[in-house]
Order: sequence, then structure tokens, then C-alpha cells
Amino acid sequence: MNYSQQLKQLNLKELHYYKQWAALLTQEGIEGLPQVPVDVDGCLGIFEDQQLIATGAYQKNVLKYIAVDANYQGGKLFNDIISALINTLTQQGVFHFFVFTKPIYRQSFEFVGFKLLAQTSLAVLLEAGDASLQQFIAQVPRLENQSTATISAIVMNANPFTLGHRYLVTQATQKSDFVYVFVVSQDVSLFTTEERFKLVQQGLSDLPNVIVVQSGDYMVSYATFPSYFLPESQDIIEYQTALDAQLFKKIAAQLNIQQRFLGEEPFSKTTALYNQALKATLPPEITVEVIPRLKAATQTISATQVRKAIQNGTIETIHTFVPETTYQFIKQNQAILQARIQKGMQVDGN
Amino acid sequence: MEIKHTAIAGTLESSDIQIMLSKIEGPTEIELESAVEKQFGTQIRTLMQTILDQYGLTNVKIKAVDKGALDCTIKARLITVIQRATDKQNDPDWEVLG
Repeated sequence: MNYSQQLKQLNLKELHYYKQWAALLTQEGIEGLPQVPVDVDGCLGIFEDQQLIATGAYQKNVLKYIAVDANYQGGKLFNDIISALINTLTQQGVFHFFVFTKPIYRQSFEFVGFKLLAQTSLAVLLEAGDASLQQFIAQVPRLENQSTATISAIVMNANPFTLGHRYLVTQATQKSDFVYVFVVSQDVSLFTTEERFKLVQQGLSDLPNVIVVQSGDYMVSYATFPSYFLPESQDIIEYQTALDAQLFKKIAAQLNIQQRFLGEEPFSKTTALYNQALKATLPPEITVEVIPRLKAATQTISATQVRKAIQNGTIETIHTFVPETTYQFIKQNQAILQARIQKGMQVDGN
Repeated sequence: MEIKHTAIAGTLESSDIQIMLSKIEGPTEIELESAVEKQFGTQIRTLMQTILDQYGLTNVKIKAVDKGALDCTIKARLITVIQRATDKQNDPDWEVLG
């Protein structure tokens, strides 16, 4: 920045700032702008003579809505805004960042130290900071015969773990030597990440050829697939899911995962689109198999039903849906879970 | 001296360098991204290693994005990031600074 330029926090709840911000983003070809309140944790802007000439925002560890006025392009302001965003995040203790952008901006981000994670014709995903995909893959537990075994994988949020999830895993164990169960790490569901992970582990503890692993930032996270957690339009979901699938392919190659099992999805539109993207992207290297949902008596088991029963205080009705470990946990923590719902935690989402 | 947490110093502006310092299991790694890597890469790495040695730091990872910083800038940024990562901002190691 030169002396006539000034870095400021942009409060997008103020209409005056929102208008300038939206105008700059529209001018630079960023479409589908959200209305107020904008889904970001913070937003910065660089001004010259009261005019907004560059902006960037973040949500958790993801950089978003980055734009530089075309009259000032050439790299300098771009580097300034990225620097400022990184400094803001590091002050909050975040040292690992992602950016989700158009393929033409890939190089600009690589020049400031970002590394490519996945690419499709519509979008790229990059990361920077003190953690990396390679470190994540390195810490995944390995088998003795990793290179020769038939290995499959399942990614689940398990909010909470039901007999439906267990059925999916047992189906996978019958068709492969070994199953990795990746539990979504993003902590935005009714059950916390720690609770979900523990209930998955407990519910599968009798199966010897299953290993439960945290999915980290690399599968179904705010970075790879934000629309799993936030409502979005169909085309956004489509290109995010395609990127998440590309990234999974990269991880699978290094872990010798040959098959991915999915639960059939009759309820959630987002998950159904995700399943479609996986089927389109993963083969031929990885085969995709969709397992129909398990039915208890006449009802299809789903974690959504379980969450609704918690909300309504009718947990006896879902006793047959979940393993005993999950049921006991819900019973003991019913008040806490209901309090979370009352505070605004969604029951209907994922 | 021991790294307590990851820290960062510097910016991506022209003539500056952004350095992130974190603790790792294995031997020290220096990852440098620089437009002048060919001309000055070795010199920059040597300078960084010398400073790490002065502070007695091993098993660390440096991720640096250089935008053409001079040696004095690199040294200043690295000392700052070391002090931040070791929680010594208010208690600098005067002997090394001298």
C-alpha cells in the first residue's frame, strides 16, 4: 500500500460498506453475492480517497470474496490484501488457510505461497500455512499389507452414529479386507466432533478390520465442501462437490483405497448431489458403490430422525435406530443436546 | 530454546518476506518461495540457518514467501518470528541480537 491507501475492517452490516463492497465484487465478475448478513467472520478493505479498491474476507480458515479493482491490478494490492487477511487470521491463532477460487487466479495464489490441492474446470482449491495435505496423509494409520490389500473408505458425519451407519460399514467390510471410516472433523453439528468420533469408534469397536480416522480439513469441510453446512444454490454445490471428489482421489491414491461406499440418499438434496459428483469423478481408479438404507421395522433409519426425536423429547422411539452406545449417550446427555437445539443448532440440516 | 506455537512475521509486500515458523518432529526444514531463488536461494537459506543456530533451534519448519527482501530484512523478520513463536517478544535474547 502507498501513503494514500488505507486498510480498514469492513463491517458489512453497514449498508454504506456493503454497497461499495458488492459493487467492487460485481465489477470484478464475482457472481451470486449474498445479501446481508454476509456469511463471513471478517472482511477487510483497502481504500484510496474513500473509494474501495481491494477487498478480502474470511470464514473460519477459508479466504473468500477476494477482489482487486481492475484499475489497480498488477499484484501489489492483491499481495497486500492477502497479507492483511493472513495477519488477521494468525492473530486469532489460525495458521492453516484455504482458498477456493477460479482457475485463472491459481497462479496469483501460488506466488504468495499457496499450494494446489484440487482443480476442476470451474474452480481450484489451494492451501497454505503450517499444516498440509501430505502431513494429513502421513498421519493416517497404515496396514502391514497396505499395497496388496483391498481397501475401501467411507466418509461420514455421523450426527449421531446410527445402525444405518453401522450397516454401511459392515457391508463394506464384507467386500474388502479393510475399511477406513473417515469422520467429518468440522465442528458445526448438533453432536460435537469429539462426541461423533467417539460414538463411531464405540459403535464399530467389535469390527477388527475397520479403522476410524478424523477427516481433517480435507474431506467434507468448510474448505472443501462448505455447502454441506451452509445452504447454497445447486451450481455452487456441484462445483464444490467436484473439487472434494478430486481431492479424495488424490488421498485415496496414496492410501491405496480402491473403493468408496456411500449411503443411498433419499432425503438430503445436498448429499444426493455429492453422491452424484463422487460417481462422476472417482471411477475408474476408485469404484463407487451405493448401499441402500437400512430399514428398522417399516421406517428408514436416518440420523435426522434421531435428532428430531431428541428435539421432541421422544428418544424411546429411536431406540431401535441406534447402537446401545449411542442410545446411552443420548439418554445421559439429553438435556445438553436439547439446550444446543434451543440455542439455534439446526436439526434438519446435515 | 523451544518453539511454543506457530508464529508468523512479515508481509507479502514488495521487498519484504513473510516467514512462518512451526515445530516439527524431524530435522529442520526450510521451504522457500522466492522470485530470486536461483540467484540468492542458497544465501537466504544459509542466513536463516545461521540465525536458527544462534538461537539453538532444531526440529523447526520455516515456510517463507520472499518478495525480494534484503538480508537485513530477512534477519529482522526471522528474529521477530522466533521471538513470537517462543513467547519472548518482551524478553529478547540480547546476545543474539548483538
